[in-house]
Amino acid sequence: MRLTTAATATNQKPFKGQTLLHGLIAWYVVLWVFLAIDPVDRHDWLLENILAMGLVIILVTTYRRFPLSDLSYLFLTVFMTLHAIGAHYTYSKVPLGFWMQEWWGLERNHFDRIAHFSFGLLLAYPLRELFLRRVHVRGFWAYYLPISGILALSGFFEILESWVALLVRPELGEAYLGTQGDEWDAQKDMTVAVFGAFFTIMLTYALSKLVSQKSLPAPP
Amino acid sequence: MKHLVTVGLLLWYVGFFLFMGIEPFDPQSWAFANILPLLFVGVLTISYRYLPFSCASYVLFAMFLTLHTVGSHYTYAQVPFGLWLEELFDLPRNHFDRIVHFCFGLFFAHPLLELFKRVPGMSAWIRAGLVVVTLVGLGGLWEILESWVTRIVHPELGLAYLGAQGDIWDAQKDMAATLYGALSWLVIMIISRKLTGSRVGWPRESSLELPHASDHGSYRH
Repeated sequence: MRLTTAATATNQKPFKGQTLLHGLIAWYVVLWVFLAIDPVDRHDWLLENILAMGLVIILVTTYRRFPLSDLSYLFLTVFMTLHAIGAHYTYSKVPLGFWMQEWWGLERNHFDRIAHFSFGLLLAYPLRELFLRRVHVRGFWAYYLPISGILALSGFFEILESWVALLVRPELGEAYLGTQGDEWDAQKDMTVAVFGAFFTIMLTYALSKLVSQKSLPAPP
Repeated sequence: MKHLVTVGLLLWYVGFFLFMGIEPFDPQSWAFANILPLLFVGVLTISYRYLPFSCASYVLFAMFLTLHTVGSHYTYAQVPFGLWLEELFDLPRNHFDRIVHFCFGLFFAHPLLELFKRVPGMSAWIRAGLVVVTLVGLGGLWEILESWVTRIVHPELGLAYLGAQGDIWDAQKDMAATLYGALSWLVIMIISRKLTGSRVGWPRESSLELPHASDHGSYRH
């Protein structure tokens, strides 16, 4: 089985033959249900899952008209897995984050930063695929626009987070779970997301230069 | 005629910038706030021959830069107009910076649209969407840079320094203001298109005839 990429995803097999996709869906559904049984804070879990479910619905409904490449779905699933774990533990109580906190003597649970970094790292590629195959941009723009898009989505997410905080828990203010008392939280979250996106895009650029153009099928 | 307008705008900005550079309220924050605008004007001047914007775009740039020059002279928190608004509407803080963030979204949308007109293969709606997305992204980038400057220059002042004026949600509100500005532009564009039944307000294709350096085939992966 060959993994399709943004460049080779034009002629996807029918869904029945997509073993990888079946595996990814099964993995996410099982994990999501398992983590939904007894989250640390049901209320926060629900809030965290609104956007995640929105993304799942978009991916499912657009599959027939615009199936993404295997690589993009793989990246999306890894990100959704991280987010499902974060949502279960309300992000600030993820065990991995506590271990890191202890090992390196950090002042807070940094799992949310990992998730923000992964947002850029893992979603820049699907976004690039969208720009390449749907908007038909080429060259520089196909590298620049995904980074710009990730930056904007991160900013938009921070705006949404502040609205939720002001609506749902105005009394908590600064101590709201997302910021964990850090006054520069929003800026740091956006920064790591951009770094993640930049890394992926640079890697994609390097690989596309290194991999022999002839080994890939001709573009449509 | 166009040269006259652009040179006039450049002279206006340089003159006004120098005038507002006389005894700013806080020379250090004034200097930091003006690094990016000066670079931006420099880039615009150099790229004028190769990547010209329309007259309207240069006017919009000049309007925004004028607002920013006023704001940076008074460190934003002390702009008389904002103080006057504060008193008039009984607001908790000087809102001049929010106005300028809003204007950033509103004024930069049209030039950005012109820029995206040069990217081949985009439909009008995608282009308009990308304008809004890019503006929110740039708004976020500004907040990031602002936080870096504060943490390097005045870590002890924290949120009291520069734009935040002590508001913990300042960054989010600033970005939201930019978003509203960009969305306002979108609404104005849609209404003007509906009213005139034409593409008035959208840059004409003919004014943007440049060879696009696109099809060198290195995009694949």
